[in-house]
Amino acid sequence: MNRTVSRPPHEGILLFWLLPLAIVCMSVFVIPVVQIVRWSFTDSSLMKEGHELSFRAYIALLSSNDFMSILRTTLIFVISSVLLQVALGFVIALFLDYGDRRGLRGTIIVRTAVLVSWAIPGVVAGVIWKMMFSEMDSGLITSLAHFIVPASRPRFLSSPAAALASSVVANVWRGTAYSMILLYAGLMTFPNDLNEASQIDGANAFQRLFQIKIPVLAPLFLICILLVTVQTFNTFDMLMALTGGGPGRGTEVLALYIYKTIFTEFNLGRGSAAAVLLLLINVAMTWVYFCFLKRGTA
Amino acid sequence: MNKPKPVALAGFYLIGIAIFAFFIVPLFWTLSMSLKTIPELFSSKLTLWPKVPQFSNYAKIFQNTMILVNIKNSTVITISAVLITLVLSIPSAFALSRSRFHGKQFYMFLILIFQMLSPVVVVIPLYRFFISINIYNKLWSLIIVYAATFSPFAVWYLKGYFDTVPAAIDEAARIDGAGRLRALVFIHMPIAIPGIVSVAILLIVQCWSQFVLPFILLDDKRLFPIPVGLLNLQSTSDAITIHYLAAASIIGILPIMICFIIFQKFIVSGLASGATKE
Repeated sequence: MNRTVSRPPHEGILLFWLLPLAIVCMSVFVIPVVQIVRWSFTDSSLMKEGHELSFRAYIALLSSNDFMSILRTTLIFVISSVLLQVALGFVIALFLDYGDRRGLRGTIIVRTAVLVSWAIPGVVAGVIWKMMFSEMDSGLITSLAHFIVPASRPRFLSSPAAALASSVVANVWRGTAYSMILLYAGLMTFPNDLNEASQIDGANAFQRLFQIKIPVLAPLFLICILLVTVQTFNTFDMLMALTGGGPGRGTEVLALYIYKTIFTEFNLGRGSAAAVLLLLINVAMTWVYFCFLKRGTA
Repeated sequence: MNKPKPVALAGFYLIGIAIFAFFIVPLFWTLSMSLKTIPELFSSKLTLWPKVPQFSNYAKIFQNTMILVNIKNSTVITISAVLITLVLSIPSAFALSRSRFHGKQFYMFLILIFQMLSPVVVVIPLYRFFISINIYNKLWSLIIVYAATFSPFAVWYLKGYFDTVPAAIDEAARIDGAGRLRALVFIHMPIAIPGIVSVAILLIVQCWSQFVLPFILLDDKRLFPIPVGLLNLQSTSDAITIHYLAAASIIGILPIMICFIIFQKFIVSGLASGATKE
């Protein structure tokens, strides 16, 4: 027959392949998001649909003292978790890289230990750290504190400020693996000639770290900070098991607040307004990340 | 590289031990708690490791809680959700890698937003919606939500992978007369196997950990996966049964740990490349 040169296949067929995922995303993301935005502007409850369009939920939300303290808690939790995770992740990455380049033993077991904590479900991480921070005399960290200061009565989870710090420690334990892996991959592909040239120039290890390695890895640091920030803003499961948001509202972050406002206070309007705020945070961070990825390939 | 000096070597191992301890001690402590007797739990001094490990604590957990049912549910949810996610995202990723169309950038951006979105935001409308059309508290509808939640990550990751497969291979397939679907299944997918395996492992870990979705979309104890079952157990147990909770935690993470240690190589490469590729 006259099948000479096969025509490039229609891209229309390929677009058809996008359809199943697009439909699923439409029903699981787009419709619910539209719904929650609508609720945030009405006086709905989980039981009955409201119709009145108003900004009441937003005004009530933003003018309440409770919510301001929730935002403060969330910001403290996010900023300290992110800084500690990225810093510790970088230290571990440097450690692994140093060991690998010199053929030292022990790097694989350290890497595995860090990664294992990442694979553990958040709820289990919360349960585990609740045991670690047990304030009974037989508790591990309590015993350690007694050993250092014999008469001390440490309160790791029963005072709001300490509970927030404890939550950050647990979150760092759980999340550091991600930063470690990203930065470790960056160090592994670090241009070797750059390192050697600076060594010949007589730069010492610290100069090489701060004047060469960190500046070269800066884009990776930014990606790492962005992704970890989004993940930390969305933290829910670990805190649910570790503190349940307490004591009082000491560790109630935004995601927990949304859940509690809707499911225990039945205030759908205000809970939805808070959810829209979390949504906007997610979208803004995604936008920065997206632009950054684009710039990297251009 | 020249050999490090003894001082540097000592510093290296000191740091290594400190890092290792921070990450392993909580797990060691949980294991130790799970094997203790009640007097050891309440003694006024520290018991690092129980004198006689009480393996009967584990037998009690198997008898008195629904942990085995939880593990079964987690396994069913994880395997089906990962398979559906792959079926949804492989064709999409391939299509996004090979075609240009108006609005593609926007579509990619939208998918990225879905990936970053907190499940708490979407699960509340879904809860109401599921109740209204009578698919609330069902495993199959939950599994679809899982697949939707994890597909965006898989699509971005796999698109990056397909992008590295040279166009010459498409060309060769076309000359051989293979259609798009045959080319994907018999030519591109075999090449992309390492990427698909990495994605599958990362998805398994995330599915096993997922908490918010089942917590809100399920009501029946007999359907709970591990994280929801454990939280339930935690809220019904008190100080006197803390060793059982520890044992249940160990049982609950055992399957994922085994999977993790076998496939660690893929997790390391997967996590690293997933975040930086466009």
